Amino acid sequence: MKGAETTFAAGTRRGSRRAPLVFVAVVLALAAVVWRLVVSSGEVSQRYFGRVTPPEGDVLRYANGAEPETLDPGHMSGQPDGRIARAIFEGLLIPHPQTLKPIPGVAERWELAEDLVTYTFHLRDDARWTNGDTVTARDFEWSWKRVLHPDTPARYADLFYLIRGAREYKQGGPESGVAIRALDDHTLQVVLEAPTPYFIELVMFYPFLPVHRATLEAHGDRWTHPENIVTNGPFRLAHHRQNDRFVLDKFADYWDAENVRLDGIVAYSMDDLTTMINMYRAGLTDWNPSGYLPAEFVPYVQHYEDYRAGAFLGSYYYSVSVGNPPFDDKRVRQALAYAIDRERITQFVMHNSVAPWGRFVPDGFADYPYPQPVTFDPERARRLLAEAGYPNGEGFPTLEILFNTSEDHKKIAEAIQAMWKTHLGLDVALTNMEWASYLRKSRALDYQVARRSWIGDYLDPNTFLACLKTGDGNNRTGWGNPRYDALLAEASRERDTERRMRLLAEAEAIALDEMPYLPIYSYRTREFVAPYVRGWYPTMLDTHPFKFIWFDRGGLRQTRATTGAAQRHASGGGRR
Amino acid sequence: MKFVLRRLLAMIPTLWAIITITFFIMRLAPGGPFLSEREMPAEARAALNAQYGLDQPLLVQYGRYMANVVRFDFGPSYKFPSRSVREIVLSALPVSLELGIYAMLLALAVGIPIGTVAALKQNTAWDYGPMSVAMLGVSIPNFVLGPLLIFVFALTLRWLPPALWGPPENKILPAVTLAAIYVAYVARLTRGGMLEVTRADFIRTAHAKGLPEPLIVRRHALRGGLLPVVSFLGPAMARAVTGSIVVEKIFAVPGVGQYFVNGAFNRDYTLVMGVVIFYAGFLIVFNLLVDLVYALLDPRVKLE
Amino acid sequence: MSASDETMHSGPAGEAVLEKGTSLWRDAWRRLLRNRMAVASGILLVLIGVVTLLSPVLPLHDPEAQNLELGATGPSLAHPFGTDVLGRDLLARVIDGGRVSILVGLVATLVSFIVGVSYGAIAGYFGGRVDNVMMRIVDVLYSLPYMFLVILLMVYFSRSIIMLFVALGLVQWLTMARIVRGQVLSIKQQEFVEAARSMGTRNADIIFRHVVPNALGPIIVYATLTVPAVMLQEAFLSFLGLGVQPPAASWGTLVNEGARVIAFFPWLALFPGFALAMTLFCLNFLGDGLRDALDPHLRHE
Repeated sequence: MKGAETTFAAGTRRGSRRAPLVFVAVVLALAAVVWRLVVSSGEVSQRYFGRVTPPEGDVLRYANGAEPETLDPGHMSGQPDGRIARAIFEGLLIPHPQTLKPIPGVAERWELAEDLVTYTFHLRDDARWTNGDTVTARDFEWSWKRVLHPDTPARYADLFYLIRGAREYKQGGPESGVAIRALDDHTLQVVLEAPTPYFIELVMFYPFLPVHRATLEAHGDRWTHPENIVTNGPFRLAHHRQNDRFVLDKFADYWDAENVRLDGIVAYSMDDLTTMINMYRAGLTDWNPSGYLPAEFVPYVQHYEDYRAGAFLGSYYYSVSVGNPPFDDKRVRQALAYAIDRERITQFVMHNSVAPWGRFVPDGFADYPYPQPVTFDPERARRLLAEAGYPNGEGFPTLEILFNTSEDHKKIAEAIQAMWKTHLGLDVALTNMEWASYLRKSRALDYQVARRSWIGDYLDPNTFLACLKTGDGNNRTGWGNPRYDALLAEASRERDTERRMRLLAEAEAIALDEMPYLPIYSYRTREFVAPYVRGWYPTMLDTHPFKFIWFDRGGLRQTRATTGAAQRHASGGGRR
Repeated sequence: MKFVLRRLLAMIPTLWAIITITFFIMRLAPGGPFLSEREMPAEARAALNAQYGLDQPLLVQYGRYMANVVRFDFGPSYKFPSRSVREIVLSALPVSLELGIYAMLLALAVGIPIGTVAALKQNTAWDYGPMSVAMLGVSIPNFVLGPLLIFVFALTLRWLPPALWGPPENKILPAVTLAAIYVAYVARLTRGGMLEVTRADFIRTAHAKGLPEPLIVRRHALRGGLLPVVSFLGPAMARAVTGSIVVEKIFAVPGVGQYFVNGAFNRDYTLVMGVVIFYAGFLIVFNLLVDLVYALLDPRVKLE
Repeated sequence: MSASDETMHSGPAGEAVLEKGTSLWRDAWRRLLRNRMAVASGILLVLIGVVTLLSPVLPLHDPEAQNLELGATGPSLAHPFGTDVLGRDLLARVIDGGRVSILVGLVATLVSFIVGVSYGAIAGYFGGRVDNVMMRIVDVLYSLPYMFLVILLMVYFSRSIIMLFVALGLVQWLTMARIVRGQVLSIKQQEFVEAARSMGTRNADIIFRHVVPNALGPIIVYATLTVPAVMLQEAFLSFLGLGVQPPAASWGTLVNEGARVIAFFPWLALFPGFALAMTLFCLNFLGDGLRDALDPHLRHE
């Protein structure tokens, strides 16, 4: 028995003296290796972050974000869903890849009558569904009316309410009252309630894409499965695996197939930003769309030539629930707004991946006369707060900022927490909630200050300003102003663009004085596009029609050799 | 045999309790499945609620759900309306199962030898060194280890792909990342269990009889020493084969794990219920296996 | 024969047991002190604990003072651990964050220890129907969707540190209970338990004086493994909004934030990660030392 003991205890004395040293040495060595590997990564001196030579085969691979909820254009509401939908379906009009202005899709041409409310679309006769059927005006009539059918859970149904009789139908009125009519197989006529200059922008949006009636009626909810789906776009759905990928093939009978240069598209469903960046870095994707790059990365990747940044139609702001004191006093809201140092937030917290912006309508509308922005003015903020009865923040209750769970939202909230503390003497608490709880609270106005953001649906300031209409579902502040509502209504009736924009700007000026929203920044796109990808342009809505995209193989032979050759290829390949 | 049958029958009330409690817990959370930043028209919301029967009283919904579950119909997902929960889970489960099994095998293959050696050479460098390595697995969280492995093996050395589920080389990094934490558990528990047993009477007897040590280790010591490991394995296996959200996110693996968390955030009641039922099923079966293995490893344990 | 030793020294004669008990602990303590690794680990742990507790009075930067212009900088004389993306001193944040992490690690582990050991021992000892019902309850608790429990805790209760312990405690004891039960199933068949039972010792005494001490090895080992699990779980819960409220931090949240930017600011993950790992290693070696010291088979040598 004792013998056994010694066997097991052998070497105890010898080992234990040196063990701590050995252990510490191992840990230090490991740390050093990790450090070395990690740090050296920051010094990559190549000019491109991702691959420089096109992959074999003309198949565009990109990270599409979180798994799309649905491929039914009438039901969808997300960016990832929309990107796939626009590849496999085609609407009456499609956006120009560079300007996003409408160009012919299924409609060859269209006209607006003298009354400014009657649109007539003339459809081409060679547009086909993937099952061989011709795409007709009746398809559009049926598809649009389907969205408006009272039983269809369409999230964007309200966009159709511009059309005469649409709202009434959705709310139980007669179908015959809806002014969407196929005059014949190739002519579609739509009559609006009132002149709406941006209607033609809307027609390019995915809820207005056509669907194939017989397929829906045959397969019900399962019609979007690859084995059932019938589409009419430049690409068709070949394969789908949830949380993995969509594989799209070129549709050979597409009316403009000869000008579609990609043979296919692979859209990966992944929602981790770092994973997406890794994929691009490793050359497994050719495009990493905007928003899928953490802000912290920007200072370290913006010098790469395949990094693209541009204006984007989105605003980030804090909303104030104006119903309860002290936030019912507009001076308090103004004080909060003037005490936010937007420059510092965008520069140091967001690393210039976004732009400081003291207005609600984001930058980028050429013919919109922007009102005076809110600035950073701590003196004025203190004065306003004192006038409201809280000199140096005395007597002000603890203010609570509500935001949904995200590292970026948290950092911005921490920065603003410190700013309001320093400049106004306010005690600020941060409340982080997961998405559904946060939405529930902000919707019920059960908060003081909450993080919000808004991404434009179409290229018109109205997509932002409509949120603040009294009682609008997206308002979520309890704020309302009759003059503001009247200006928006007047603008929608105004036929002259310049005067219309002035009315809208006047409305925004009211909001910027009353401050139900505290503007912080306007979004910018930040993405990676491989140097051989052509037909891709930065756009305000981050829309990039796939039918125009192609791979430039011009410099392929040189680029295989060295990095230097790759650089020559890129500068030489810039032609179009 | 009778024991196994009895335990399998006991699954039914257990599952019923799990489903019922889960059903009502989910409905206590604020918000519903059709929330989005952009407010949808009230008509659309009403249409959605009606379509899924969410406008019915809660007890009616519960009754309906139970009636469907009995027929293995878990309903459509709220978040992915064109697909049924069964379809979603069954397409993701093989992936998680495969990854989980690789990870567990790796953890056992590495953890048990490390723990055994450490116990035999207690308090020597052979103990501290390997145990320290094993401990790295729990000390470095997988959300750090995963990116680190990707950085070294995918982006710097370019030996392995950084993400996506596919050919065998895609499975190495996620399996290692998932296994790391289990290695530490297995190694530590093995070491502890082995030390316990090596001092026990029957081992001492074996030594006294002059049996060679490797034989003693294999035939006697490991058996009893593995008891704690086996206890740990029941729940751990159930967890491993139903996926890990961190590993799935980092490596873009289309497994089940992410539905536990994302399903909760999306208030996708049916999907969460679906994955909970599958997880519970695995857990119960694995725990039953654990109890059987007890009796196998240690003749003193009686099944009752 | 160690087993029969056990039965003798904890017989019905109360006084003898008490006396013997204290000497047992003294023996264990002496054995622990002989283990250099365990002693070194213990000293280091106490040191870490004292430093984090004293953080308010130590000459450090304010862990919450931002310097946006400075941003994230590597280690320097002014900031030995560097600064984070908001320009806060990382050394101060690591030391300050240690308080929460250590507290969370110890309290949650203690709770899981007490609940899990008692629950598992009772289930294993009584066996049969009791065991069956108790273990099925564990199965049910294992299976409930944890995220929803966390969401409910956040929505219906104040976001205090107590709720964090509740959220952690909800699940951590479950595996402990299963491990203890597994050990007890085996131990209760040994002669000394039979002997105690035949001598008419109360069940509670048998469980906690004879059975549990003999299962202490795996229990201590698993408890030391619970600490890292709990600390990292805390990071996840804090990220969701339950637990540490910004701008405060814990090791877990610091590592979590650092991991996101590890390619650019490696120190943000490495330093808090090192503090975490150091503590866990010490706990591990101390745990092993304790295990050895309390090993029933080594007593009376």
